[in-house]
Amino acid sequence: MIVRAIEAIGRMFVEPMEELGRVTHIGGRGLLNLFIPPIRIRHTIAQLEFIGVQSLPIIILTSFFTGGVFTLQSFKAFQLFGAQGLVGGTVGVALTRELAPTLTGLLVAGRAGSAMAAEIGAMRVSEQIDALDAMAIDPINYLVKPRIIAATLAAPLLTAVFDLIGIFGSYVVAIYTLRMSYPDFMIRLDDWVDWDDIWGGLFKAAVFGLIIGVVACYKGFYTKGGAVGVGKSTTSSVVVSSVMILVSNYFIARYILP
Amino acid sequence: MSERIDPVTGEPASISYVNVHKSFGTQHVLRGLNLAIPRGKITVIIGRSGTGKSVTIKHVMGLLRPDKGEIWVGNDNLATMRDRDLRTVRNRFGVVFQDAALFDSMNVLDNVAFPLREHSRLRDREVVAKVRGLLAQVGLAGAELKLPSQLSGGMRKRAGLARALVRDPEFVLYDEPTTGLDPILTAAMDKLIVDTQESRPGITSVVISHDMHAVLGIADKIAMLVDGVVAHEGTPEYFKNSKDPLVHQFLTGSLDGPMKV
Ligand SMILES: Nc1ncnc2c1ncn2[C@@H]1O[C@H](COP(=O)(O)OP(=O)(O)O)[C@@H](O)[C@H]1O
Ligand SMILES: [Mg+2]
Repeated sequence: MIVRAIEAIGRMFVEPMEELGRVTHIGGRGLLNLFIPPIRIRHTIAQLEFIGVQSLPIIILTSFFTGGVFTLQSFKAFQLFGAQGLVGGTVGVALTRELAPTLTGLLVAGRAGSAMAAEIGAMRVSEQIDALDAMAIDPINYLVKPRIIAATLAAPLLTAVFDLIGIFGSYVVAIYTLRMSYPDFMIRLDDWVDWDDIWGGLFKAAVFGLIIGVVACYKGFYTKGGAVGVGKSTTSSVVVSSVMILVSNYFIARYILP
Repeated sequence: MSERIDPVTGEPASISYVNVHKSFGTQHVLRGLNLAIPRGKITVIIGRSGTGKSVTIKHVMGLLRPDKGEIWVGNDNLATMRDRDLRTVRNRFGVVFQDAALFDSMNVLDNVAFPLREHSRLRDREVVAKVRGLLAQVGLAGAELKLPSQLSGGMRKRAGLARALVRDPEFVLYDEPTTGLDPILTAAMDKLIVDTQESRPGITSVVISHDMHAVLGIADKIAMLVDGVVAHEGTPEYFKNSKDPLVHQFLTGSLDGPMKV
């Protein structure tokens, strides 16, 4: 009885530690493999196309409307004390520093991270990963490395698109719906948004991309239990990477890019 | 290590398991497995589903590591080998996985060509020529451009065999090559295994099966796996004539006997 209880308590600590160990293993070896041939350029480009190019429609749509609605709402608030002129700058800063990287991260986790976890998970349960090992091909080098690199590169690129289209959406709403004048909208935007804000946002996005790639590959790689297991890995890859994106976002904002 | 002789066939053992144990969590799967695989012969490992047949062959390529015991391939003990050296051992094997494990994203030709493209410096024209030859041998000529999802189970297994053979391995491992096939396709697959063995002198084949009848005709040696150890081993003749109730039950597929459902 007591032994059971101690065992149970032990497991509570051991399992998360084991999990952390395996995540570090996948991420660490994935990054280490950057320097281990074969380079796998073609696979990386294929993943970049999947994670990056194919995410463009949803990023464009989301960013346009995010910029638009944020402009609408902040205009209402600023109008109360006659400070409509602050809208452009506020939207610009919020977009480049927070909204663009975070929303891009969440969208990529949902769209591409889930697909990566499902694909690798299906390969695991159908023994395709064992087959790679059996053919003396390192599955980390072949499957994991290209996905981690592609996710880390694609997220900031998509975020840059989000910045641009988001501000464009804001501009359209400000000028055509709210009838602001062009200088009113632009002055604060130009004033307040620094290159530092933009670079900081892109840096965060790269971190989010790395998280998405590592978590998706890890969840897929350790999938167990047939089709049900693939479903679980897919869901949990989206949940875990989304939470990690939001949490790490806070800590980056607090300590790295104050 | 001095060369071991397989007691059943009298041939030298090219693979031998010595007192191998393997557990997954609390589940003790292999419990002191001793088994010699004779060189140049077809050895069949037979046992009920879930007894650890796949686990047994995954050990021989280092896909799994034993908790205890030794696994010798020639002069190498895989149990103590470093990962990097395991890769050279793996190059000597071809594996036909239970559900073929073809890559979904590639057509048949690319699947079979994959190990060569990864590992050899052959020009692509030579690779394709070799792959086409192999596909013809396994009866898949004309299916080169099909995706795995467009193939029947039997065709997938044959494509898996072609992929296993493409680098001219010393060992070919078949994980349940006939499970899920109808009797005619089973006979065709059995013939393919025997033809493969006969057309490649010196090759060593290991076949996993849970169907005793299907293997009597192809095996040089049969080892019966029960509760994580080899309970019986011998020639097909030995198994046909055995009075052992366990063997008898397996041969007749009867519900009465020492094995319970
Ligand atoms: N990687 C693994 N992790 C946990 N359990 C496993 C693993 N591989 C096999 N097992 C378990 O070991 C037992 C034997 O499996 P296996 O060798 O696949 O059986 P079979 O004889 O049907 O091929 C099964 O109960 C299976 O659940
Ligand atoms: Mg099996």
